[in-house]
Amino acid sequence: MKRVGASLVSLAVFVIAWKLVTVVGSMPEYILPAPEVVAERGVRAIGSGVLWEHAGVTLVEIVLGFAAGASLAVMTGIALGKSVLVERVLSPYIVAAQAVPILALAPLLDIWFGGGLLARVAICALIVFFPIAIATMVGIRSADPLLDEMLRSLGAGPAKRTRLLEIPSALPVIFGGLRVGVTLAVIGAVVAEWAGAGSGLGVLINIANQGLFDTPLMFVALAALAIIGLAFHGLVVLAERRLVIR
Amino acid sequence: MTSTQNASGLDIGIDAVDVRFAAAGGPIEALAGLGLEAAAGSFTVVIGPNGCGKSTLLRLVAGLLEPAGGSVRVGGSPPRAGDGRVGLAFQQPRLIPWRSVLDNVALPMELAGVPPDERVQRARLTIERVGLAGVMHLRPRELSGGMAQRAGLARALAIEPPVLLLDEPFSALDAMTRETFDAELQRLWMERRRTVLLVTHSVTEAVVLADRVVVMSPRPGRVVRVVDVDLARPRPADLTGNPRAAELVAEVRDALASARAVELRPWAEGVA
Repeated sequence: MKRVGASLVSLAVFVIAWKLVTVVGSMPEYILPAPEVVAERGVRAIGSGVLWEHAGVTLVEIVLGFAAGASLAVMTGIALGKSVLVERVLSPYIVAAQAVPILALAPLLDIWFGGGLLARVAICALIVFFPIAIATMVGIRSADPLLDEMLRSLGAGPAKRTRLLEIPSALPVIFGGLRVGVTLAVIGAVVAEWAGAGSGLGVLINIANQGLFDTPLMFVALAALAIIGLAFHGLVVLAERRLVIR
Repeated sequence: MTSTQNASGLDIGIDAVDVRFAAAGGPIEALAGLGLEAAAGSFTVVIGPNGCGKSTLLRLVAGLLEPAGGSVRVGGSPPRAGDGRVGLAFQQPRLIPWRSVLDNVALPMELAGVPPDERVQRARLTIERVGLAGVMHLRPRELSGGMAQRAGLARALAIEPPVLLLDEPFSALDAMTRETFDAELQRLWMERRRTVLLVTHSVTEAVVLADRVVVMSPRPGRVVRVVDVDLARPRPADLTGNPRAAELVAEVRDALASARAVELRPWAEGVA
């Protein structure tokens, strides 16, 4: 209860500060709309169904992109962690793919994957991949060599040692990667939508900004993205609490 | 309670083994032509200076290591890790931190494919034998050092191995606890005479526990002397005042000193 209270207080402070900036700075609505203006615009966007339509598309992209990217990343991270050879061969490509800005890669992936949902999921998966793969690799290598020898003395082969020791040892670190990855998935979805899509919260931002000059609607879309990011991050933290025994 | 009735060990035969390890400055010879026999159901204690290859010797018998030369046999055939003939307990208990004591002790049976009900049943019995019945659902971090060490011992005993290898199992414990553990270990062994190979630094512990004390030289490790301990069992953990025990302790000390371990030279002579 105390933690919920603290969160509510910090939210209230944030909204009041926002309101103060608009009043003191006498900001025009097209630069910084007041919180109640955004709230009212949000209610209308929900009522008309516009927000649900775009948010639904983005949610699907995030869920599929994160699931695909994270599962591939964990499997790759295990291989990287277990074999120095695999790391030598693969890591330059993984690092290069990460170092090239996703904004520059997105149009290319959009063409390769046919411009539809698949393309947006692929872009999302790519941005999610790196932190989770690296975290998994580091986690796998953090397994205690003394416990590894103990398992070998009991006849446990490499696959059983991975299941019984390395993956459980890596879980806290993997969850660190998943937390970073899930917030990146939100960014990936928006970038993918900008590279070419008909709907989604990223598209709604563009429509509100360039088409309608409806800055309050843009803020509604931004708030929706923030809430989605917080919600998914929260789900990952919940899973972490259940799975990681400290 | 005769010893033959309870004998359930396998003999160990180590013949002229060489073990080398790769190191930055060229290969290190850990063991050179080491030979050792342990009869089925006997209690052998291996003692020697730091780095003489005592732990390496246990790893050979556990099937964790292949010798570069010579042969190792347990019950007549080369050991293989996980073949169920050997139980190994370490200086650190090496418990899996996210498993309860019960699940840690059941682990060897889990890996051997024993069905869940049976392995839990057997793990419980073993835990009771080492006196941990009250804490079997706790995790290792909630145990004291002595309790964790008992859990590690229970894990090694759980598969009822004919051969038990103990690598300085009680050296991290305080002196009082250690004496109690030595007495308990002797009791467990007298109940069921499996073949025990125990590595230690403590001369008195060696004399309290062993049928035979094997003294090793500094690296490369060889056997420099075997001292038969002819004291009646059960022996008290404190043998102070027993003249025969004092003689045996002196004999083992003498053998260690003559092995010219760097650690045992007078400090004034310096380290070569």
